[in-house]
Amino acid sequence: MASFRYALRDTFRLIFRHWGLSILTLITAVALFFLLGSSGLFSLNLKSLVADVEDDLVINVFMKAGEDASSLVEAMQDVGFITDLKVISPEKGLELLRAKLGNQAKAVTLLGENPLPWNVQIQVMKADFVTPLVRDLMSFPSVEEVVYAGQLAEKLAQASLVMNRVSIAVLILAITITALVLYNTVKIAIYSKRGEIEVMLLVGATNTSIALPFVLQGMLLSTFGALISVILLAGAYQYVSVMLETTLSFLILIADRLLLMRFYLILIGTGMTLGWLCSWFAVHRYIAEASCPE
Amino acid sequence: MDIRMAGVTKIFEPDIVALEDIYLNLDRGEFVYLVGATGSGKTTLLRIITREVIPSRGQIVVARRNLRSLRASQLPYYRRELGVVFQDYKLLPHLSVLENVAFVLETIGAPSRVVKDRASTVIDQVGLWRLRDHYPQQLSGGEQQRVAIARAMVNSPSIFLADEPTGNLDLHTSEEIMQLLLSINAAGTTVIVATHDQYLVDAYRQRVVELHQGRIKRDEERGRYFVDGEL
Repeated sequence: MASFRYALRDTFRLIFRHWGLSILTLITAVALFFLLGSSGLFSLNLKSLVADVEDDLVINVFMKAGEDASSLVEAMQDVGFITDLKVISPEKGLELLRAKLGNQAKAVTLLGENPLPWNVQIQVMKADFVTPLVRDLMSFPSVEEVVYAGQLAEKLAQASLVMNRVSIAVLILAITITALVLYNTVKIAIYSKRGEIEVMLLVGATNTSIALPFVLQGMLLSTFGALISVILLAGAYQYVSVMLETTLSFLILIADRLLLMRFYLILIGTGMTLGWLCSWFAVHRYIAEASCPE
Repeated sequence: MDIRMAGVTKIFEPDIVALEDIYLNLDRGEFVYLVGATGSGKTTLLRIITREVIPSRGQIVVARRNLRSLRASQLPYYRRELGVVFQDYKLLPHLSVLENVAFVLETIGAPSRVVKDRASTVIDQVGLWRLRDHYPQQLSGGEQQRVAIARAMVNSPSIFLADEPTGNLDLHTSEEIMQLLLSINAAGTTVIVATHDQYLVDAYRQRVVELHQGRIKRDEERGRYFVDGEL
């Protein structure tokens, strides 16, 4: 317990002895974790958007005049990735159209006979299934036209894939830069205390007790960096959510508090782990060299 | 037997022979001067005892520990049995006298009350109580050497090593330092002093081990710095 108390005291001494460097490291960590978090949140939201579009993905199949949908429905029975299939007769279609048009419903009756064809609405599990299905549907002789928003979903899925790759690249880059900055900060702290470390080794300090203040220094700077970035990120996310709600209401960001909280905790955990690993590597290597007898 | 060396040889890369075929036995509570010209191997011998240096050949057993086969994890606990005064003192400039001495105990995780009590007692013993809050750069050479001695003895070591403890000090201060070392020895601690100080060796006669080009040239009980008739 006493050892830990001394280590903690020495940790703060290290941080304040090189306060300029500590602030620089902290700012770098904040900026990089903010970048990391932003890219993660963007990726999460894009995924959620794709999932939403996929949920609403309806393929509208319009039959030729005089053709009903029975043969098509029969053919679609065995397709495993179809989640829902609705058949709308011309009469039902007209009813729906009237309901949708409201006050202007009279315009529909002016047409005389019902001009609407049989319509089949098909929902699939994933956007990837849309294109092959549409190709199949178009090959039916009784089908007049296929209307679908699948291209949008496919593009979103592709964008999501690209964004995931970009996110991973950003993640690797940000983690590497943060790791290097932390490693160097701890190295400088070690260098400034090399005389002390030499004496510590000679008077019987264990490697752990020598390493502990440096490891705590790296962990504290990195964790605080991640924590500050999470606070900034949460504020910015809230602001962007409100802004989008008022300007682009169809774009709804993830509002699941539990999911966001988990994401922020992972970010802080990453900061802590990264700080621990970098400082441990820096100090372990130094002590191993310094304590090696000639 | 506190220290036993048998055939200890140290060759530094590429082929600098620092010590050759050293046989030396020291009983618990002995006081030994290591004398010899610069480069004769005195410091290497002390560094072998602190295990900063591992012999190329031979056996060394200190405080019942075979230093050649000592595991790295055991090294800190072995070093806690040693008190070392370095040639250049190695005081930490940003710590006060009290903090420099307490540092050793804190390093090994002693409770804060023990640290405070023990450090204060030792500083008082070396006569630096009034200077306890001063920093090394505010002290004279002799005072700094006393701090170094206090730091080496604060952990109540069983073996005390001092490398040129009176180098650069005036005669009066050297005598004070010598009195301190003798009092440490009187408490039952084995003391090994590597020195060039002819006056002290001759004034405070103890066992003398003379090294010459890495070999033991002479080993005398209550010897003098030079062999009679040499000068």
